[in-house]
Amino acid sequence: MLRIQNLKCSYGSITAVHGVSLSVKEGELISIIGANGAGKSSLLLAISGLLKNWSGEILFQEIPLKGMSPPAIVRSGISMVPEGRQIFAPLSVMDNLKMGAYTIYRRGMKTEVEKDLEMILDMFPILHERVEQLAGTLSGGEQQMLAIGRALMARPKLLILDEPSMGLAPKIVDQIFNTIVTLREQGVTILLVEQNARAALKIADRGYVLETGKMVLQGSSDELLVDDDVKRAYLGQDYGDFYDGRNQ
Amino acid sequence: MVEMQMSECSIEEREQLKLERLQSTLNRAYKNVPFHRNRFLERELSPQDIISLKDIEKLPFMDRGHLATHYPYGLFAVPLRDIVRIHTAPGTGDSPSISGYTKADLLIWKKLVARSLEAAGVTEMDIIQIHLPPGLANWGRDYKDGGETVGASVIPNSPLSLSKTLMVLRDYKTSTLVTTLAFAQQLMEHMFEKEHNPNELNLKRIILVGEPVARDVAKDIEDRLHVDVWLNYGLSEIPGPAIAHESENHCGLRINDDHILPEIIDPNTGRPVLPGEKGELVLTTLSARAFPLIRFRTGDMAHFLTETCSCCSHFTKMVWHRKRADNYIIISGIKVSLDQVKIDLKKALNIPSPDCEMEKICQGGIEILKISLVVDNQLFSDEIKDLERLMYRTEEILSERVGVPIKIRLMQKRP
Repeated sequence: MLRIQNLKCSYGSITAVHGVSLSVKEGELISIIGANGAGKSSLLLAISGLLKNWSGEILFQEIPLKGMSPPAIVRSGISMVPEGRQIFAPLSVMDNLKMGAYTIYRRGMKTEVEKDLEMILDMFPILHERVEQLAGTLSGGEQQMLAIGRALMARPKLLILDEPSMGLAPKIVDQIFNTIVTLREQGVTILLVEQNARAALKIADRGYVLETGKMVLQGSSDELLVDDDVKRAYLGQDYGDFYDGRNQ
Repeated sequence: MVEMQMSECSIEEREQLKLERLQSTLNRAYKNVPFHRNRFLERELSPQDIISLKDIEKLPFMDRGHLATHYPYGLFAVPLRDIVRIHTAPGTGDSPSISGYTKADLLIWKKLVARSLEAAGVTEMDIIQIHLPPGLANWGRDYKDGGETVGASVIPNSPLSLSKTLMVLRDYKTSTLVTTLAFAQQLMEHMFEKEHNPNELNLKRIILVGEPVARDVAKDIEDRLHVDVWLNYGLSEIPGPAIAHESENHCGLRINDDHILPEIIDPNTGRPVLPGEKGELVLTTLSARAFPLIRFRTGDMAHFLTETCSCCSHFTKMVWHRKRADNYIIISGIKVSLDQVKIDLKKALNIPSPDCEMEKICQGGIEILKISLVVDNQLFSDEIKDLERLMYRTEEILSERVGVPIKIRLMQKRP
């Protein structure tokens, strides 16, 4: 479904992603893990069209995304739940959800939008309860659910989640991850970017480990969960610390 | 079924997965192994320059000499604290060969061995008996792990006499035997000599490892023992016996190319041969964490099968040839460097240039390296007993050094 080859992302003279290749098959839940500054968010910005300065190849359902605008990418079927939720705080829960359906609504699919709203409010009963409440007054976990619900309103074929557990209490993180598993069971293809490596790998089919802009590991979740490199990527420690006098 | 996801992938998806794994392997090797990093730098390359599978041809080859030079831990790509198993084998030079596994490596290799066993039809209903010579002891452990992963009952490698091995085979109702060609043939001869009927056994299949086996030789075992015979290909340097396995219809060896990238090159020029042409097999590990090998020259000769066959496998298939690209001979699964044996022989006899020929023979089911040594002026002695004593001592020294039984036969100078 999504195929990336040799992606390089730059900010001026600084290269954040150095020739990364990865892929997501239809129906898969894929985790990308890595420490701060590993290049995870740059990768997602490139996929969603928010970062222009990249080279390489990104194909979504065999269509190159190079040169496409962010709305066109959403229309093609990719929705992103950004890091830090980025909900519209002054708007109500309902309006936030409707904003997510913007591209669908513009195509005149009003009935579908109504049905989707119903489905999302069923999936997140807490949002149903607070449908008229201003989004900025929700708790962190509720805001995350709203951000996911808003992304789902665009009827994505591929849902990208950037650090959905960030800043949330462990109990709430469990709820969010349960929601992700439910979505996956309903057939949504998911690309999950997380620092919480263990939690992300436990629910994923496969995972990739990014380290300073380079892909250093990938494999099935069971393989990565026993890998010491994963601990290092998660902890953000450098390999050199572990060489203990070995000549590098 | 264990890890059959690759068979569900399209060609593009398989190529993508291989590229991803290759790039990660190169990133790790470059970062963590000075040997690999230096070889990139010497060619003014970085791992980011490898943007397709074909680009691997830009990288230099590795061979057994590099393994010996960086003995023991110089080629490990993870700290020793991450290593959970260290395999060692006799090696081909002065030092033993070594390979390491992380927990993840062991998990992957288990799956690969299980995949090979499943391709031979092994299921959780089977009883697997492993009988391998000491040189293949590491593979014995891998087959045990793979068999357990499938869920079969495994009888691990145990040093038993031939008659007791046969008892176990019969009484424990073994359905799958993992062994070498030499032992399979010895067992077969023993059974017929002692008038055992193959139907006394529950044996359904024999998996042969360690050396190439011609189809007619396998067919002979199949016909006489009423079993299926499957060939597996492995390499002691890359930790595992399951690099390739015979597929349904015995249409070549299916290479686990999602974990090991194969190439075939002209052994003289180092250039890739045309598809379907015979050459030396070169392997690159795609998922090994502890001990990555990049373009490792195996010395084995093979050719890729280019025509499609009825089993519709997406894996690369090859035919493994008996003739080797290097001066090695395989004795009970141990690769013996004939050049090294000659050096050892020279030292043991204390003569400048022994004139000899070497070949593998099989005596009583045991594979032996036979050295036919020409009695020339360097060696000649009036006392035949002195010469016999010298030969006996030399056999002992060489057997100890090489790790396989050695017999020296004296012969007259050729006319």
